[in-house]
Amino acid sequence: MKAKDIMTPIHDYLRPDDTLKKAANLLRTARRGEEKVGVKGLPVLDEEGKIMGILSMRDILKAVYPSYLSITDLGDFTWEGMLESIAKKVADKKVAMVMTRDVMTVREDDSLMKCIDYMIRKNINRLPVVDKTNKAVGMLYERDIFFVIVKAMLEKNIGNKG
Amino acid sequence: MTQVTDAVSQPLVMDTAFWTATAIFVLAYAIIVSEKTHKAIIAVFGAALILIFKILNQHEAFHLEEYGIDWNVIFLLISMMVIINLMRPTGIFEYIAIKSAKLGKGEPFRILVIFAIVTAMLSAFLDNVTTVLLITPVTLLIADALEVDPIPYLISCILASNIGGTATLIGDPPNIMIASKAHLTFMDFIYHLTPVIIVVMVFYILCIRIIWGKKLKTREELKKRIMEMDEREAIKDPIMVKKSLIVLGIVITGFVLHGKLLYQPATVALFGAGLLLLLSKTREPHHILAEVEWPTIFFFVGLFIIVGGVVKVGLIKWLSLQVLDITQGNLFATSMAVMWFSAFASAIVDNIPYVATMNPLIIDMARQLWPHLSGIQLLQHPDLMPVWWSLALGACLGGNGTAIGASANVIVVGLAEKAGRKISFMKFMVYGMPIMIMTVIVSTLCVWLRYYIIRF
Repeated sequence: MKAKDIMTPIHDYLRPDDTLKKAANLLRTARRGEEKVGVKGLPVLDEEGKIMGILSMRDILKAVYPSYLSITDLGDFTWEGMLESIAKKVADKKVAMVMTRDVMTVREDDSLMKCIDYMIRKNINRLPVVDKTNKAVGMLYERDIFFVIVKAMLEKNIGNKG
Repeated sequence: MTQVTDAVSQPLVMDTAFWTATAIFVLAYAIIVSEKTHKAIIAVFGAALILIFKILNQHEAFHLEEYGIDWNVIFLLISMMVIINLMRPTGIFEYIAIKSAKLGKGEPFRILVIFAIVTAMLSAFLDNVTTVLLITPVTLLIADALEVDPIPYLISCILASNIGGTATLIGDPPNIMIASKAHLTFMDFIYHLTPVIIVVMVFYILCIRIIWGKKLKTREELKKRIMEMDEREAIKDPIMVKKSLIVLGIVITGFVLHGKLLYQPATVALFGAGLLLLLSKTREPHHILAEVEWPTIFFFVGLFIIVGGVVKVGLIKWLSLQVLDITQGNLFATSMAVMWFSAFASAIVDNIPYVATMNPLIIDMARQLWPHLSGIQLLQHPDLMPVWWSLALGACLGGNGTAIGASANVIVVGLAEKAGRKISFMKFMVYGMPIMIMTVIVSTLCVWLRYYIIRF
């Protein structure tokens, strides 16, 4: 099986100048298969469909996290309503300012083991799949590969019993 | 000491060695100022060239006080960094900062003043960069909580850290370097510089009252956010806090007494670092030692050798003759010129290479003035002392002039930008330059009154 066989074809994607408000809402309602159940990360594409970055739920969390908290241990001194008020302030920020730019991609014909290799080595949860012209054609999520593994395990067990 | 007398009596020969050393020195300083390559790399490479071209031999560079690395400065810096690295994770500094904000009862201007005083006091004992790294995040948190503009707090943090650092021997690297070269003690600095800095701080607070006093306003319900913070939650390791405070107490007592006990300041600091490492019971000293600001340390090592090279070939002596020519040996004029020139020079270039060059220059000048004296009698000649203090005041306070005047400035501006609050070069200078000029005027008056009018 190859990356293209199990990837989620690209329906929903973001543009770099989309607002975070729009992006967060799309993350919440993006299609996975036939249902609109939301995804944890979406590709950010340029005009030609080439990948510019990925915006994940974690990036949205980082967008409201003040940089000063990460420098010193000040988590104990935050207040009720702080998160909501910062969220309102960053709602109109552009996706380009928050997205992860350094994106690992795989090709349509890459093996699933190569995909796992990237995911584990770089500690990433989703990989854009690109064609020969570097155009994004799909997304490969952790759970897509997980289901292939589950299937293989169950098949083997059935075989042993038989 | 034989080398010292040799250097004085030798006539100036502008030979190949002279021009080679001068070229290395000028090029290295030019690249450091341009910031094209990291200053530590330039300093180390320049030092290597001084050795390769046999301007200094390795023995001179590594072991001679006259030309080589000032190990007193190096070990004082490393030791203080180790002590602070061990103290930071305990949460003691966050505790102090939150406690200070609460002391201000959530009143924005009161907090600004208290933070300025706390920053200055911390800076007097820790290096300025460490101080601002500790204070800036709390400043941003408090400004967010009170929903006030953080810019005044950030700018004040920079200004107060540079002012406070001037107060003691260990507050700012120029002072450490001057103390080591002129064999001045911690108490000399307390006696001569701390009072000046207290006066400067009073004027500084008056200035920020005029600038920001009426602008900072908040609402009553937001003050509650500050008052509800419990500073005790900052303490992550109460046992280590106690150990740190005991060791810090010993170190400061050691600094106070080092002149009487005949220990160098580096010995005191090294003892503190060793003791706190031992008490911390850490099995893995790797990260504590690795967190020492090695680029800064190597910057110093390289600079000392480069400057040693130009001292040996006579460039510094030649420069000192030019200075004497201008001032005609009038030491009042010299000390005023040194203070004001140092302030503007330090506002533009790093004060560390500047002071590394000025130190031997002042010593050479003293040798021309009093050729029959040597050692402490020469270095601490009563007429020379105001020049040392002027150098320290000018070089440290000058850092406030521009956004690149001192490392602390660069750090705070960087942190502010990361937090989405850009402080442009001009925006900083609008506050920094007048404040710098004010502080140097106050220092000028103090030096003039104390050493040339009242004479005590």
